[in-house]
Amino acid sequence: MDLNRPASPLQNKATNRKALAATAIATALLLSACGGGAAPQGAEQAAAADPASGANASGAVNICGVKDASGIYKGTAEAFTKANGKVTAKYTEIGATTDEARTQIVQRLEGKSTECDLFLTDVIWTSEFASQGWLLDQTKLVEANKDRLIPSTVETTKYQDKYWASPFFTNAGLIYYQKDKVAKPETWQQLYAEAAKAPGDGYVYQGKQYEGLTVNFLEMLYSAGGEVLNDQGEVKIDSKETREVLNFMSDGLKNGSADRAVLTYNEDPARLAYESGDFGYQRNWPHVYRLLNATPLASSFGVAPLPAWEGGKASGVLGGWNLAISAHSTNQAGAVAFIDFATTPEWQKHVAMDYSQAPVNEAAYSDAAVLQKMPFATELLASVKGAKPRPISPVYPQISQAIYKNVYAVLSGTTSTEDAVKKMADEITTAKASF
Amino acid sequence: MATRTISPSRGPAKTSGRDRAERKLAFRMTAPSLVIMALVAAVPIGYAIWLSLNQYSVRTAGLSRFVGLENYINALASREWWAAFGQTFLFAGLSVTLELILGTAMALLLNLAFKGRAVLRTVVLLPYAIITVVSAITWQTMFQPNMGLVTNVLSTLGLPGGDVVWLGEHGYAMAVIVMADVWKTTPFAALIILAGLQVISAETYEAAELDGASKWQTFVNITLPLLRPAIVLAAIFRTMDALRVFDLPFVLTRGANGTESMSMLAYTQLRENRLVGEGSALSILTFLTVMVVSVIYVRFAGGNIRDVAKEEQ
Repeated sequence: MDLNRPASPLQNKATNRKALAATAIATALLLSACGGGAAPQGAEQAAAADPASGANASGAVNICGVKDASGIYKGTAEAFTKANGKVTAKYTEIGATTDEARTQIVQRLEGKSTECDLFLTDVIWTSEFASQGWLLDQTKLVEANKDRLIPSTVETTKYQDKYWASPFFTNAGLIYYQKDKVAKPETWQQLYAEAAKAPGDGYVYQGKQYEGLTVNFLEMLYSAGGEVLNDQGEVKIDSKETREVLNFMSDGLKNGSADRAVLTYNEDPARLAYESGDFGYQRNWPHVYRLLNATPLASSFGVAPLPAWEGGKASGVLGGWNLAISAHSTNQAGAVAFIDFATTPEWQKHVAMDYSQAPVNEAAYSDAAVLQKMPFATELLASVKGAKPRPISPVYPQISQAIYKNVYAVLSGTTSTEDAVKKMADEITTAKASF
Repeated sequence: MATRTISPSRGPAKTSGRDRAERKLAFRMTAPSLVIMALVAAVPIGYAIWLSLNQYSVRTAGLSRFVGLENYINALASREWWAAFGQTFLFAGLSVTLELILGTAMALLLNLAFKGRAVLRTVVLLPYAIITVVSAITWQTMFQPNMGLVTNVLSTLGLPGGDVVWLGEHGYAMAVIVMADVWKTTPFAALIILAGLQVISAETYEAAELDGASKWQTFVNITLPLLRPAIVLAAIFRTMDALRVFDLPFVLTRGANGTESMSMLAYTQLRENRLVGEGSALSILTFLTVMVVSVIYVRFAGGNIRDVAKEEQ
């Protein structure tokens, strides 16, 4: 219908109808046209990075990844450029959030772009990227550097017995608690019981339907002795432990240990809620320490490693970021030189002192200068060493969805534990059978 | 759809030589735009259809296999698709209805002669100018439990809803998403309806007044029927948009609590899981759904326009 035409609709009935139909269909076509997505590229034989090449490197290196909130990426690039003298490194932000950065990285890798030499990769992306032949094999490089890296962080770069990236910094969940109101938790059961005592003692975590809920759930499941896949890659989530943890979490929401609002919380809302002073416990990442120190709670909060399951042991889920060399990099030697610098024990101390991130070098945690800036370094190291990786699979995104959607359904009360466990196992089995 | 070119009511068509020549010329003149339309619309859709008939390996790069309609069969057999289908239609039904009612009211107000009308007409469009993701984040903040504006006001006034975790509960989450959409796109509906109001001639109203019709009678018997084409157009635009809703649930709930839409499902398969074939099938299904709905609109609501015209004659 042409709104500019000053005629009455009565005189133009036929034209109106045709124009309406045409407009509707053309718009439907145009609006839906963007659904396609890109077809995969051809397979490639993965080339290997030469650990010795870093010494003779020159030229420019471009590192691409998520928005540099703490300044660590740009800071490392600058420090490297200054220290090296021959190679210049620069950091390019290609996404505001982890998800966006992944989409951007995948687009560049699928398109065989030479724009980036190094990608900053989340620990859960390794298998997917490696299986597609997008990364340079770093096995020799990692083996040369192995004695200075924490073993669990090295494991996050492994896929089919080869290493595809080098760990840059790691991450593990911590419990922040109000020393004036509640006790330092030894077990999850104790934490939940303590949190239910008074209205201001509650526990906040990341319970929104997203990756963070998978992490929060697995932290408890691992400490209870459960697992998602066993060493042979078989689905083992349909277990007594899974049921126990799900019931425990959902009871916690019912009896007031955890505020129901956590069903909408990811990391930042959980932190903000805790900062209001209305809660006793918070589960979050190490970088929150610096932010809490700038609030009125600075003198009253404590930091503890994740607690153990009653009768079990403490565990956690390993987070963190790795450095992967693009298969299409035009300066692989420069990329190797950058990795060598970023993983030195000396620079790893700065990772902790200057940016409040968890080093991948164990000695850094007991360094006096680090301990002064990061008094919870001992607790952090305990968390990192006890943490286990999330399931290693090229279909990890689907596995994680199967976990967080079903856990969420139990927490929000729409599904019974029994149904959710069955569905979770089914969906993970289906995901693993993906072509 | 729009292929009937000769209306029988106009009598038999006589085609002279000149007519034919003109028609040829018309075809030649429109050919370039038809080609562009084909390139812009048909090629990507054809490609998406091709992708949807294949599966692309997530394990081995470059490996793919032709599976025919398997992706469609799997999608149509899954609970997720039908849940998303129902939720999307619920969202579209609620939001479009509210938008049309409020949009009509808003258009009637803006059509009155008053001082500052031009300014107000611009101002009411502001919500529509805000990027959806930004407005979604604003709504999320307002409905935040404990600290949000809405929850705080409700609990201060002692009204129900103050202690509800809006985005964490079934029903409530959908309500927030509908509200956010209505707030944002009612001005758009109002604008289209306002344009429809302005073409209704003043004489019709004068005649009604002379006949002693009340304000309500005038509205029901003159304004509404004459506005129908504009309302139908607004309804078509808004319904098609609403059926493809993505950004609001993506930001507000990530699809939790019965708010996952068809487009979100397709996005998850395409982007997060890189299941290109399966995701493309979902996109095509979404596209077909939208298309069927718009055809139905044009058949029935469009038919209304004709009935009204006949009655008037």
